[in-house]
Amino acid sequence: MADTRAAGAANVPAVIERLEDSGRKLRARPLGEIIAALGRVGARFLDDQDPLRQRALSGIPEEARVSRPMAEAILGGMAVDWTEERLRALVTAEFEDPGALDGIVTVPVPRGLLTSFGPSDGDRPDGGTAPSAVRRVRAFGPRLCVQIVSGSVPGVAVHALIRSLLVKSPTLLKPGRGDTLLAQLFAEALAQEDAELSDALEVVYWPGGSQEAEGLVLQAADVAVIYGSDETVKALRTRVPATTRVVAYHHRVGVGAVGRAALDGSGAELMEVALDLARAVALFEQQGCVCPQVVFVEEGGETSPSDFARAVAGALGELEGELPSPRRTTGEAGGLAQLRGTAEIHQASGRAEVHHGGGDAPWTVVFETDSVRLPDGGPRTLRVRPVSDLAELPHILTSLGPHLQSVGHAGLGDRVEQLADALGQAGASRVVPFRALSFPPPWWLHDGRGPLTELVRWMEVEEE
Amino acid sequence: MWVGGYISGMDGRTNPAAPETRDASADSFEELRLRLEDPDWSTWTEADFEGRALSAFAFQFETCEPYRAFCRHRGITPDNVGSWEAVPAVPATAFKYFDFTSAPEMAPHHDPRFESGLFLTSGTTRGTQARGRHHVPSLGLYRASLAEPFRRALLPELEPGGDPTALFLSLIPSPAEAPDSSLSFMVGAAAQRYAREVVWLVDGDGRWAEGAVPLASEEVESARRSGEPVLLLGTALSFVHLIESAESEPDVAACLAALPDSARVMETGGFKGSRRSVTRDALYEGIERVTGIARHRIVNEYGMTELLSQLYEGGSSGGARSSGAPSDGLHRPPPWLEVRALDPTDLTPLPEGRDGILGFFDLANLGSVCHVLTEDVGSVHDGGVRLKGRALGAEPRGCSRAMDDLMSAARG
Repeated sequence: MADTRAAGAANVPAVIERLEDSGRKLRARPLGEIIAALGRVGARFLDDQDPLRQRALSGIPEEARVSRPMAEAILGGMAVDWTEERLRALVTAEFEDPGALDGIVTVPVPRGLLTSFGPSDGDRPDGGTAPSAVRRVRAFGPRLCVQIVSGSVPGVAVHALIRSLLVKSPTLLKPGRGDTLLAQLFAEALAQEDAELSDALEVVYWPGGSQEAEGLVLQAADVAVIYGSDETVKALRTRVPATTRVVAYHHRVGVGAVGRAALDGSGAELMEVALDLARAVALFEQQGCVCPQVVFVEEGGETSPSDFARAVAGALGELEGELPSPRRTTGEAGGLAQLRGTAEIHQASGRAEVHHGGGDAPWTVVFETDSVRLPDGGPRTLRVRPVSDLAELPHILTSLGPHLQSVGHAGLGDRVEQLADALGQAGASRVVPFRALSFPPPWWLHDGRGPLTELVRWMEVEEE
Repeated sequence: MWVGGYISGMDGRTNPAAPETRDASADSFEELRLRLEDPDWSTWTEADFEGRALSAFAFQFETCEPYRAFCRHRGITPDNVGSWEAVPAVPATAFKYFDFTSAPEMAPHHDPRFESGLFLTSGTTRGTQARGRHHVPSLGLYRASLAEPFRRALLPELEPGGDPTALFLSLIPSPAEAPDSSLSFMVGAAAQRYAREVVWLVDGDGRWAEGAVPLASEEVESARRSGEPVLLLGTALSFVHLIESAESEPDVAACLAALPDSARVMETGGFKGSRRSVTRDALYEGIERVTGIARHRIVNEYGMTELLSQLYEGGSSGGARSSGAPSDGLHRPPPWLEVRALDPTDLTPLPEGRDGILGFFDLANLGSVCHVLTEDVGSVHDGGVRLKGRALGAEPRGCSRAMDDLMSAARG
């Protein structure tokens, strides 16, 4: 890893050349070695005594605009996925035989399937021989993978660079504006740990819209991974050659579903659900697609949806002790005042109830009894909407379609599977309890797709 | 814009009023219009503003249903409010979601004073496509409120009420091209009052209007000969495009180069809805380079669809900038507009010089809601405002737009 800071457009061609060169060595390395090296670096971010973790924790709050306790919570939740154990689990979850990244492997194809779905031995119309009951396959990572990440969720860029290095692809990564530090620290530590591997990684940062530098790397890559708003993804897609694969993670949102069963429990149980939800809302300061922005609460339980909204408001207030909000800029506070004021006008006309933390804390819960429109108020704002039955939820969410990511839930009981199936059809890619919402495992089907398999190109081999 | 009369009993929400009440309300619009028309601002006193503000509040409380509900919710009524500062302010964003029309129930064809309009915001702030809507029951009042501040800031050489002798070159589309733009209306109304000729340089899509450049060249030449004041008006973004055009199109460059030294520029707005951004310094440098108009003759206008009055940088001092004096960087409101910087956390007023979010009490907003809380950040100094620009806090989170659309459609 050479210069991690600010590779301007002028030295981009040299960087690309170096990365492509490094690919030859990278492809010759056994996958196990790569996993081990990445895992050793990843583990350092979890070690309280390690200066690398300390540097991360002292820099994240300012860069990502989160409080120190929030930085600790985020780093802890993210870095656990960068350990050797989790990375091994990731490649195993993604590849039937991860050895396909090292060489040609043989994977079985159940014979029964062939006979039931295709021509059986001996009677192929072309008179050829039937396929054997095994496949011989090999997986290749991109010759050069360019990852353009936007946003300020700390750790997303490291997830991204690990993914492409795991498939043995030299990687040029541009982290999001609020997420450069972890990627730089990871690259720096990788250089100390494994110089050859780090030669295949370049972390660059140029301000969004530096057309020249971006254009050069987009032309050179054979896979371009783009994280960003729909507008960013759309704009970048048009600048990628036809032969380049684009893996795009556009904007997505999380929602919540609270079933009657969660509302029938004791006060303590209810508070636990409320706290789990509040934590999922607050983590990442609600910047991620895993963060619920609206929660649907079923009517008919002992606790009414309106009282549940009050409980979540209480939980968000309590959470300010554990995961304090960062200081707001005047502009952000102004945006929040617009939301609260607008919600208050809805409240005055009987269409909503507003709970908020006043001047001390940004959290704002709007319980909506009618269809209302509200501006975006920034972090830690949650809309709560009653529903007569959660079975209606998939239909309600249909219009979110491609933007729906996570559905957090509580109190669904044995309805989970049926509801999850319908939510999946509506577009959801993850249906999990609130407690598990914030930190998906490394092998999660990000946007509904395999995080490693979608980077690779497969080759199939048949012998005479 | 629906011009031609206030629609009686619109939405059925306004209280049917007895004819004499209606007349009294209509008279108050007319009385205020005449007051704003008066070019002598020295007669305004604090007591005058306060009295008008409280009557405006009483009128708006009575005739604007969502505003009345909001005020009642806060426990504030005309009976218990003692100063304009205590009158509830509505967030500017709420104009997207509520109709804040306050108007006497007028029979449209019987009262020519009530030519009304509807203006929309550009709808690109804070990530939602909903557009703010400002119903203006009396365009006459709007015309009156914009005229004198405009003259003082931009055409101080013209006498109030004098002949319209100026030449306007507008990079802002004409009211005909952009009927729902409050800014276009303003330029059109100012042109009617002060301009001998206005050349609308661009169409509603921001492209060069056909034949505009040759026409502008001719008019500039004629203004040079006669010594008429020349005013070039545009948004910041339109000036970025103008500078680019001047660098690549010789006829545009020649037209701009021919502008007299005495010409002025009105620049307004930011780069909303655009990926472009340049610093204000760089922009003014570019304008100076292509037009030859000295920097101190470039005047920034601050306005918003939700407020009918405008503030100009260095404006109400009677054109200090035009004399070559350096700008103090303050935007000055007219005497019927009060501005405060508020603590963003609890909306209490801040002392002079402290940055806060800006709240305006605009008497010209008699037909909607006078007290408006903006998203803009700035500080107040000696009655003027130092703007810190539009709130650029959190970028709208992913899909807040999609989410809001969902929530507005879904009924659980």
